[in-house]
Amino acid sequence: MSGIGEDLKRVLGGSKVETDPHVIRLYSREPSGLEGMVEAVVFAESASDVSKVLSYAYEKEIYIYPQGSSTDLVGGAYPERPGVVLSLERMRRIKEISVLDSIVVVEPGIRLWNLNEELSKHGYMFPIDPGSVKVATVGGAINTGAGGMRGARYGTMRDWVLGLTLVLPDSEGTILRLGCRTLKCRQGYDLARLMVGSEGTLGVVVEAVLKITPLPENVVVVLSFFPRLEDLVEAVIDIKSRAMDTLLMEFMDADSARLAAETLGASIRPDGHMLLVGVPVNREASERVLGELRSIMAGAKASSIYTARSMEEAEEKKLLEIRRSLFATQAILTQRQFQGRKVMMLMEDIAVPPSRLLDAVKMLRELEERYGFKTVLGGHIGDGNLHPTISYPADDEDAKRRALEWYYEVMKLAVELGGTVSAEHGIGVLKKKALELELERIGSRRALELMRGIKKVFDPKGILNPGKVI
Amino acid sequence: MSCVQQEETSSTGLRGREFLIVETSKCIYCGFCEPVCPTLPHGRHRGYGPRGRVFIARLVALEDFYTDGDEESLYSCLLCGACNEVCPARIDIVRVVREARSLLVTR
Repeated sequence: MSGIGEDLKRVLGGSKVETDPHVIRLYSREPSGLEGMVEAVVFAESASDVSKVLSYAYEKEIYIYPQGSSTDLVGGAYPERPGVVLSLERMRRIKEISVLDSIVVVEPGIRLWNLNEELSKHGYMFPIDPGSVKVATVGGAINTGAGGMRGARYGTMRDWVLGLTLVLPDSEGTILRLGCRTLKCRQGYDLARLMVGSEGTLGVVVEAVLKITPLPENVVVVLSFFPRLEDLVEAVIDIKSRAMDTLLMEFMDADSARLAAETLGASIRPDGHMLLVGVPVNREASERVLGELRSIMAGAKASSIYTARSMEEAEEKKLLEIRRSLFATQAILTQRQFQGRKVMMLMEDIAVPPSRLLDAVKMLRELEERYGFKTVLGGHIGDGNLHPTISYPADDEDAKRRALEWYYEVMKLAVELGGTVSAEHGIGVLKKKALELELERIGSRRALELMRGIKKVFDPKGILNPGKVI
Repeated sequence: MSCVQQEETSSTGLRGREFLIVETSKCIYCGFCEPVCPTLPHGRHRGYGPRGRVFIARLVALEDFYTDGDEESLYSCLLCGACNEVCPARIDIVRVVREARSLLVTR
């Protein structure tokens, strides 16, 4: 039995600490395939619990890995070195919903989907919707700086965090309130937003004040397929030139859309590159806007066009199904390719200016050819965020080496095209080298020193989520 | 007249430990199965949900020991199959749990 586990049981009570070796392993891995090993998992139930854990860890110099639901894809939450996983999954209360103040106050362990179920009863929503929205927690979304399909309209997590309660890794386990519960707030340096995307390396978020927004009255949806990618981009340019306020603007390349439809057994038969567009409207304007969208797609030589007068109709007609299945498609493809073998999936998360999308797709296809990995390609064309995904057998060292090379090359192309190496997944351990490349390319290598300095100020002993980001 | 219990076999003809090793290798740990699980919200940890059970079943198949945590995880499953419906990798999680329970009994 681990001494640390026994100590923590004395500090917090036995029901909040798990030392079963197999249960510990459940919390020592993530979808990226990375796996470590800790000595115990702590399930905090309050800010005070977190404070006690951090104070203990500071005194004993024990590494702490804060964790939400472990849907991370860049090695951001897995324990690279021995230590203790601090799970926030039991802290999942919605403490307050205030429509008048346009805010919600929540604990970090609530899942984004559950939060939205509650908000919808008030006609409101929290618009951050990563692919893992049904599983991902608010705390994880804050720490990775998550975005999602509605990113082009609603931005990412940093646009929605107003205030945070944080526990610091110091001798007291200091509990600190940062930011405000008002939409406008000038509180010196913006420490609350510094936490967004900090990947649990600076402090542990135990409460968040988030901005909320009304649900759109209605959303019209058009799904189109284009034999030529250039024509799809023409359609996007046309939509943007008309200043249409899109809620969704999603893309999948022809091969991936076809593969997704096949694996889903979908009734829609993709015959080209896929563009999915959703525009929020008031009900009276639905038909007019839908007609305009239809004519844009036809004008850009779409080979097939499917429409829905509302999001409900789009769900019934399964217009969103193909785009949503990006991850599933890769999973099924993986099984077909490497039957019976344990596989690793690498999902990229680059962003390029939407005007460079054509170049990006062409370069990604060249990389596919060069490295020989079947690549499923989709993403958020509205904000230029692409998620090319590959997989390889975990027991093949050569494939692993080539896959990680491919991963780096993808990020390199993003930087070359004026984009970024991570749009919404974070840096973790898998993108650290590429972050250096990006900062170097923009002449800001000094930024890394500033980041290391910030880390030192918040976490002088370096015990929080070590080895991540920088 | 004797009653013969038919053993489950997968489409590839695998069963028992071999089935578990192949079927659980499909898991990419995405957790998409968790929101539909009726037992997870009442459990003490991730092992009370399908993602945890698939991983635990893999450990049971690969290692020569099991823990109290494994038993709690596998025997708290209601076998309702809600997770089977949403798993992107199409893992037969219900059968994984059944086979893993059988393996525990033999040890």
